[in-house]
Amino acid sequence: MLKKRMDIKLILALIPFCILIIGFELLPAVSVVMESFTGNEGGFSLEQYVSAFTKMFYLQSIKNSLMISAVSSCIGIIAGLFIAYAITKVSEQTRTRVLMISNMTSNFAGIPLAFAYIILLGSNGIFTILFEQWGLPIFSGFNLYSWSGLILVYVYFQIPLAALLLYPTFYGIREEWREASALLGASTYHFWRRIALPILLPAAAGTFTILFANAMGAYATAYALLGGNYNLLVIRIGSLVAGDVFTRPQLGSALAMVLGLTMVLSLWINERLMRRVRRDLG
Amino acid sequence: MKKGRAFPRVILTATLIYLLIPLLATLLYSVAKSWQNTILPESWTLGWFRDLFMDPRFTLSLWRTLWICFLSVGLSVVVMLPTIFIVVVYLPRLEKLLNVLVLIPYAAPGVVMAVGLIKLYSSGPVAIAGTMWILVGVYFVAVLPYMYQGIRNSMRTIRTIDLIEAAELLGASKLMAFRRIIVPNVLPGIRVSVLLSFSILFGEFVLANLLVGGQFETIQIYLYHRLSESGHLASAVVICYFLVILILSGILLALSGILGRQSTAASKKGSGQ
Amino acid sequence: MSYLLIENVNKTYNSTSVLHELNLEVMEGEMVTLLGPSGCGKSTLLRCISGLTDMDKGSVHLEGRNITPLAPKDRNVGMVFQSYALFPNMNVYDNIAFGLSMKKKSSQQIKSRVEEMLQLIDLTEKAKSYPHELSGGQQQRVSLARSLAVEPKLMLMDEPLSALDAKIRKHLRTELRQIQKRVGMTMLFVTHDQEEALTISDKICLMNQGRIVQTGSPDEVYSKPKDEFAARFIGSYNVLSGEELSMLLAEPAYSKSAGKYALRPEAIHVKQNSLGLQPTSTSSGSDAAAHICLGLVEEAVMLGNIIRYRIEANGVRLLADVLNGDQAMKFHEGDAVQIQFDRQACLPLAPSGT
Repeated sequence: MLKKRMDIKLILALIPFCILIIGFELLPAVSVVMESFTGNEGGFSLEQYVSAFTKMFYLQSIKNSLMISAVSSCIGIIAGLFIAYAITKVSEQTRTRVLMISNMTSNFAGIPLAFAYIILLGSNGIFTILFEQWGLPIFSGFNLYSWSGLILVYVYFQIPLAALLLYPTFYGIREEWREASALLGASTYHFWRRIALPILLPAAAGTFTILFANAMGAYATAYALLGGNYNLLVIRIGSLVAGDVFTRPQLGSALAMVLGLTMVLSLWINERLMRRVRRDLG
Repeated sequence: MKKGRAFPRVILTATLIYLLIPLLATLLYSVAKSWQNTILPESWTLGWFRDLFMDPRFTLSLWRTLWICFLSVGLSVVVMLPTIFIVVVYLPRLEKLLNVLVLIPYAAPGVVMAVGLIKLYSSGPVAIAGTMWILVGVYFVAVLPYMYQGIRNSMRTIRTIDLIEAAELLGASKLMAFRRIIVPNVLPGIRVSVLLSFSILFGEFVLANLLVGGQFETIQIYLYHRLSESGHLASAVVICYFLVILILSGILLALSGILGRQSTAASKKGSGQ
Repeated sequence: MSYLLIENVNKTYNSTSVLHELNLEVMEGEMVTLLGPSGCGKSTLLRCISGLTDMDKGSVHLEGRNITPLAPKDRNVGMVFQSYALFPNMNVYDNIAFGLSMKKKSSQQIKSRVEEMLQLIDLTEKAKSYPHELSGGQQQRVSLARSLAVEPKLMLMDEPLSALDAKIRKHLRTELRQIQKRVGMTMLFVTHDQEEALTISDKICLMNQGRIVQTGSPDEVYSKPKDEFAARFIGSYNVLSGEELSMLLAEPAYSKSAGKYALRPEAIHVKQNSLGLQPTSTSSGSDAAAHICLGLVEEAVMLGNIIRYRIEANGVRLLADVLNGDQAMKFHEGDAVQIQFDRQACLPLAPSGT
């Protein structure tokens, strides 16, 4: 520790940071909290939360968001587990290439991604038309601008994220452990059951929470694909505070609180789980 | 072990095809004149790109985006470097607080950030909603987690406290030690987080759309507007956008490769210039 | 007149006392070592002298001037760190020149002084190299030169050799001592390695739990440990209670003594049981001061140039070091041997912690 001669200059140098943090992080956060507890006619009230959890319209948006996030994260995790496992099994060169492409496509999200899927599977999409021509009814009942379409697009950005997050854990399960367990008489089944899975499961659960939070907060993809037409929590919040027709910032704030708390909860669970994984992997 | 290798290969090949198809489709669409009922387009053209570059709205939005990313990331470096330095070296008791402050944006999705900002800055003494300044401010906050990690790690690698103590005992003032020792040694170590922040902001849509909308058209907003007009033109925009991202991540990858191999050598090179 | 004078220094971290009413005097040109186990406060003392750490109470005088209120940069004190703390963005030349340029010396002055320093540490050809291109030993020499360049009145060295390999460490400590003598620099050297302290110091200050336990020349500190801590830390002395000593010597006189006694392992001679001693019998042999008795070898460990025996004699366990020469009789576990030592070699110790 250095000698504490608290120069006034040192304090002055912290001012820009304080201004920016207060102006663009703390005050907005406080404002969201306060607004969410303000009634339509002003004054303290729980009215907004009551609306959020009782009116079918808003309740449905919360339910839709939770469902889409959960389903897309589940699919993402399952695919991600296989891919992460595969990545650790191939040569160094292939591994770098796959990681690079996964990394690159993780930038392919939001508007451009939604757009690419419109080209492929939209009502005039290439695949839609081609398959129709070939008489293959794979996509005949499929509508990109719907719940299932949204899931399909979300899965696209969930899979590489899941693989990238899970891969270090697979990598951390060392070959020596397998060898040691084999020498102690364990079969492959026992190795996975007793050693690999207990390490993988918390990591997978932790990754799930990240994917879940990621999907809950994803706005651009849904917005580009469906505009305001599909009832998602993020879309509702956006149109309540910056809509074209009318705005209800208090209700928007209450919904934002719901979303924010969901995210914080997910990330908190993740932190707890990953602490365990880190401990196991040393 | 041959059998053991085939399965992973199948998985990875399928994954790569799955990941690359949307990209390839967009690329083909951007150079297709007409593409109706065939696997590949019937005829080709570069006309969409020509149209795009003839459109001043596109070039303007591209420059605007680069400019605002540059401004926000630059502001972040200029503000965060001294802040983290002072907290780490002189006010270590505040480090926990700083850590919490910079991690908040990680947990707050863009929509939630936008809600509070709209309320605060639409009217009143600082009515900057709809201008680029609100974006610079919120972008500063948005990249905080990445910048903090980068700067903190870089400071840890160079053993900041030892260096500062050595410099002070050799007669350097705090400011002098910061300028001559800390800045040149930390900067090379944060190039990766700078580029990462840059590419994150480059693809940012939510905040730009909700806070400034059409009044300050960034590349993503331009793309969104084009989407409904012409599919081919929009794919040309996506390809251009993606080229920029590719260049950025290429640099990023090259840098992290160099840094991974010999971090000290990289730090030397960066400061020798 | 002492050159460096430290009076009544107290330092407390989170309510644990790290330095306790500590006093120390150093003469000009002396090499003084602060020796002690980790956590004994030796590094903290060094940092208090440099001003990098505030002390709660006490004062530091250098050349008769009270430097306690001064900032580190104004104290004219140099310091070499265990981690070298070379500036990675500067080459060897610029590192050494840094302090001089902070003192606003002319570039001509800087050049000649840096070259002089490079010669002193014998690294002239490495002037343009960057720290990461140097070995640990070279980096530490540069670090020393950097601190010496500004001609500090006092040089503080915080475990400067601890991060180096054993071989380089031994080589560098000799070189360090030579440089110190040549320049006539007053140095305060912190280490936890007693061998290092014994080889390079004019004076050793043995520290334990925030206090200086014993001060003296390496010979004094080694051959006359003051208390049990000193005896155990400086050599692997046999520390015996009064009761144990009276059992060993078969003289009840010691048993009432509350104090402890130290017996150096190499002071005990181990021989074949040629006198045909019986387990309980003792003999004073030809020399009246010598004590001879029978022992049983419990363990024999080869340490290279010496063999260390653990011997049980009259119900007391002793360690005895015997030079591993051609002439040496080698004993094995279970051998009955005759041990002999000078009664004078049993040193009474002061109670620890005062």
